[in-house]
Amino acid sequence: MPTPPTTRPEWTIPIDPALQAELEKHVLVTSWDELLGVVDTIYNWGRRSALWPLGFGLACCGIEMICTASSRFDIARFGAEVFRGSPRQADVMIVSGTVTKTMMPMIARLYDQMPEPKYVISMGACASGGGPFKEGYNVVSGIDKFLPVDVYVPGCPPTPQALLNGLIALQRKIDGERLDIPALGRKGNTPWYDPEVDRDIPVPVFGPDLIDVRTLELTAERAAAGLLDAREAALPRPALIPAPRPEAPGPAPDAAAEPSPAPAAEQRAMSKIELIRARSRGEAVPGASAPTSAGKPAARPSKKLKVAPARPSLVWLGDEGLAELASRLDAELGSGTATIVRAALLVPAEKLLDVAFFLRDRNPIRYDYLASLQSVHYEDCIEVNYHLDSTARPGSLIELRVRTAEAEGAGEVPSVISVWPGADFQEREVFDMMGVRFAGHPNLTRILMWEGFAYHPLRKDYLEPYYEAPAKVFPSRIDDGQGQHRRAEELNPFGSNVKIPRSFSGWDRLDPAADVKGAGRMPEGTGVDVQELDTDQFVLSIGPQHPSTHGVFRMNLRVDGETVVGLKPVMGYMHRNHEKIGERNTFLMNFPFTDRLDYFTSMLNNFGYALAVEQLMGDDAKVPERAEYIRVIMAELNRIASHMWSIGFLLNDLGAFFTPALYAIEERELILDLFEWAAGSRMMCNYFRFGGVAFDLPPGWLDRCRAIVSDRLDRKIDELDRLLSENEIFKDRSRGVGLLSREQAIAYSAAGPVLRASNVPYDIRRAAPYSIYDRFDFEVVTGTGCDVYDRYYVRLLEMRESVRILKQALRDLPEGPILPGKKSYQIKVPAGEAYSRVENAKGELGFYVVADGGPTAYRYHVRSPSFINLTALETMCLGHTVADVVGILGSLDIVLGEVDR
Amino acid sequence: MNDGTRRDGQGVFGPVGSAIWAVLGLWPFGRGMIAGHLITMRRFLRTFTVGHGATTRRRGGGDLPVDLWWRRPEHHRGSIVDQDAGTEGLFTVEYPDERLPTRERFRVLPMLLYDEEDGSVRCTSCNICAKVCPPQCIWMVQAKDARGKVVPLPEEFYIDMDVCMNCGLCAEYCPFDAIKMDQNFELSNYERHQSHVYSLQDLLVSSAYYARTHPEAWASAEEQAERDKVARKKEQRLRKAREAASLAPEPEPAGA
Repeated sequence: MPTPPTTRPEWTIPIDPALQAELEKHVLVTSWDELLGVVDTIYNWGRRSALWPLGFGLACCGIEMICTASSRFDIARFGAEVFRGSPRQADVMIVSGTVTKTMMPMIARLYDQMPEPKYVISMGACASGGGPFKEGYNVVSGIDKFLPVDVYVPGCPPTPQALLNGLIALQRKIDGERLDIPALGRKGNTPWYDPEVDRDIPVPVFGPDLIDVRTLELTAERAAAGLLDAREAALPRPALIPAPRPEAPGPAPDAAAEPSPAPAAEQRAMSKIELIRARSRGEAVPGASAPTSAGKPAARPSKKLKVAPARPSLVWLGDEGLAELASRLDAELGSGTATIVRAALLVPAEKLLDVAFFLRDRNPIRYDYLASLQSVHYEDCIEVNYHLDSTARPGSLIELRVRTAEAEGAGEVPSVISVWPGADFQEREVFDMMGVRFAGHPNLTRILMWEGFAYHPLRKDYLEPYYEAPAKVFPSRIDDGQGQHRRAEELNPFGSNVKIPRSFSGWDRLDPAADVKGAGRMPEGTGVDVQELDTDQFVLSIGPQHPSTHGVFRMNLRVDGETVVGLKPVMGYMHRNHEKIGERNTFLMNFPFTDRLDYFTSMLNNFGYALAVEQLMGDDAKVPERAEYIRVIMAELNRIASHMWSIGFLLNDLGAFFTPALYAIEERELILDLFEWAAGSRMMCNYFRFGGVAFDLPPGWLDRCRAIVSDRLDRKIDELDRLLSENEIFKDRSRGVGLLSREQAIAYSAAGPVLRASNVPYDIRRAAPYSIYDRFDFEVVTGTGCDVYDRYYVRLLEMRESVRILKQALRDLPEGPILPGKKSYQIKVPAGEAYSRVENAKGELGFYVVADGGPTAYRYHVRSPSFINLTALETMCLGHTVADVVGILGSLDIVLGEVDR
Repeated sequence: MNDGTRRDGQGVFGPVGSAIWAVLGLWPFGRGMIAGHLITMRRFLRTFTVGHGATTRRRGGGDLPVDLWWRRPEHHRGSIVDQDAGTEGLFTVEYPDERLPTRERFRVLPMLLYDEEDGSVRCTSCNICAKVCPPQCIWMVQAKDARGKVVPLPEEFYIDMDVCMNCGLCAEYCPFDAIKMDQNFELSNYERHQSHVYSLQDLLVSSAYYARTHPEAWASAEEQAERDKVARKKEQRLRKAREAASLAPEPEPAGA
């Protein structure tokens, strides 16, 4: 519409209408509203330029959030550097990472405590919609189920630049805000300061599952109607396989000739028939289960089932040694004590403690180190198995098996905590996940889920709320008549990731104020002598969102004055159901999930998982030379990156606020650049494949890597050394703090720098060499101080050793293929059992895999060093002050993605 | 190893530093802290003086402090800062004015390619991407013609970005080079329920875009061979169609 030229009386010359419009829009004030608009602008400008984020990170995205605040990306340029420890001082909450059910009540409380105006940035796929862990039973399908979200930042994880992009988007949103001024009758567009509106988020309650109190009645009604049971009845269920049987007498060689897996194969065929029956029943229900969803068993006939050679791990005692050990046990403790089952000793439960004591104290090889403890749900029993190693003769790994009743809650096994105290958390985990009780365990409570959670989720008969099929690919994705996008929420009758048993009746006893997670974990006084003042004892809860707990970790401290007299770790706030999801994934699919275990060391996690499956695949996955070198290069680069971060943040914990961390992060960033260049992502590399690596190194990569390794890293490690190692304050804060004696470290199954700082030269790269580590010349660094300082210093020296290995590997890197054959997504893994061990930056990372010949792992367990290192935390902290506890925790270098998995 | 043989602050400042250190050597306490402070001070000074980060060069146009005002360059718009082994001084990359280099393999979300020349979608809806997708974020429906015969094209294709874990397995195992990983990370938005489920239309990008963002992969022998294969097939089909057409029209004018 053409505008006539306008003139105003005060202007003598006619003005160009376009200019007039521009002026009215931006310069001239023509109404009260516009005058206030100027106020709006100033107001919004002030608000957008000083967004103070709440300083808590949830998972992998949290690390990228911290990187955003570090020197390279410098969120301070946006006025947002003031990460607040308290929600009362913050006005933007960056929900960075997977929101678990265990953590959700805490997040709701934090949000409620933030003063208005408050904004929420949902960072990453998990926070937005559940992300890759959405199918897990402990994951909230998007933070927007509870909080109002202002900006979503897609990505997994979003890079720091992407987060800055999100921050700019939030600023743009704030720019559009209009103030509400009732006195002038002006209606704004912001919801803030409205007394009519109750903006508090009701804190969800821990019941048999996480219950949103806003939908309590509806949930109760639907639970009572048993809608979920009806849905599950129509779905194919995972098939169970029988436990391996004892071998026939006579020496059976490693090869597949042994009889034990044969019944397994037969049984699998049986169960397949059953499954087909189930499927035909399922098909009677309209549209319920689809044809290809017949479940776990592969479509191949079972006679072709390949069986991997029986051995617990690549480096172990050996068949003869094991036979000798079995006969020795029989001779010492009565016949029938030990039966060899698939290269491991099957021990009756009632003799377990005798055997354990014998192995630890009287056997020629002293099995003093409990490497790993896990459980498998078989058709006829639940098996708890123990991997033992000797620190005096490393590499003589053996496996013990103990079997107990399969029925839920019926199983009981004697606790080995009196022999190996490191079994503490691992037994609690088995109790939590499988429902096996451990007789004699002093505090057998749930560790990852909460007391009152209705299920034992790793049992094969537990189906997650979003369960679709025992193995991927899920039928809804591609099959005939399907393939339309449906959110998992639509499948579940509760409309969210909730599963409540029909029989649950305690609806009126649910209490949002109850501390269900921490209540059973109140530390008792442990007899620490406190002399200074006549102070009272009280319990202090640190975490789970405390900035110095390195993630969502919580400690219940009992303090007398300021002295710690008791400490109980409370964890599970980051439990993302890695193992359950791992049993649904095909072997290949699991790689990117391992990236997200210890998200600082994705290359090392890939390494461990690749080794476990390669151990089963044998020569089908023989790694070519070049790939071996590339693997080592990536692993050592990653170790340096992780140690850099760890040292920086240890100093942060001790009060050297951010200077060392910023220096160290610079080197980490340069290494992450290399990862992004070669693998495609800074943190979630997903770079290893069975038998090699995903891609060859890109052109120019090696030059950059060589330059960084030979010209830069040594110099920077020196600088860090000079900056910190002789610093008097640092020495005062760390020497003699957090003592863990040599014997204690071994007994508590500590691993990695924590173990080596207690003067135990135990490094998996030497103790049980994997890949090509036997070719490199490097030292296993140990310390004698057994304290925080030595853990720091061992890490520093280990970085030097890593640089040494890198120089050798980069020198010798041969040309050649990077995979043994053609790349294929169909991986055939023979039936069998494998436990692989790699030296992660945090310690021994183990992957325990039971394969049944199908496309997925039957059981998949991660021996996580961060988790087990925490067992010794209380011992280390007793008698110190709260400030020291933070430093001691920092010296353990835990990563919650790995602690809680 | 705690035998006190650690190096102290020498060598940080070269000969001058050694001289300072010789004097400090007489100082009885706090030597470690002083050495640390010297390192911090050195870092601080170098922030403004060396490398890419040299403030005057970066903010201004030359090496001298006066250049901050004297020779102000055009403010950089999205210029790429590649930090290599020699990076010293100021480490910050000032997004959005500057950016880190985007590596070719850098992956964010998947995208589907269509051919630049004729607009044909490369995807044949073979389902392999959905079969390897770890979090199962891909849904697809195969196209069917009027008679219900399967056509090698996707009818519908959805990727739920709130489930996708950016792992790149779909792109890695796609036999037709149809699904690739996009490098665009600037995806922030204010809503997820409508905009985070990408449909076929949202996912499609032209092969020219891909060739631009992934030059190495585009030029690689494997992708070249795949493109040639597809081109040959197209050629064949076209020839057949032409033959059919050249046979068909003849009776037409006769009939007319």
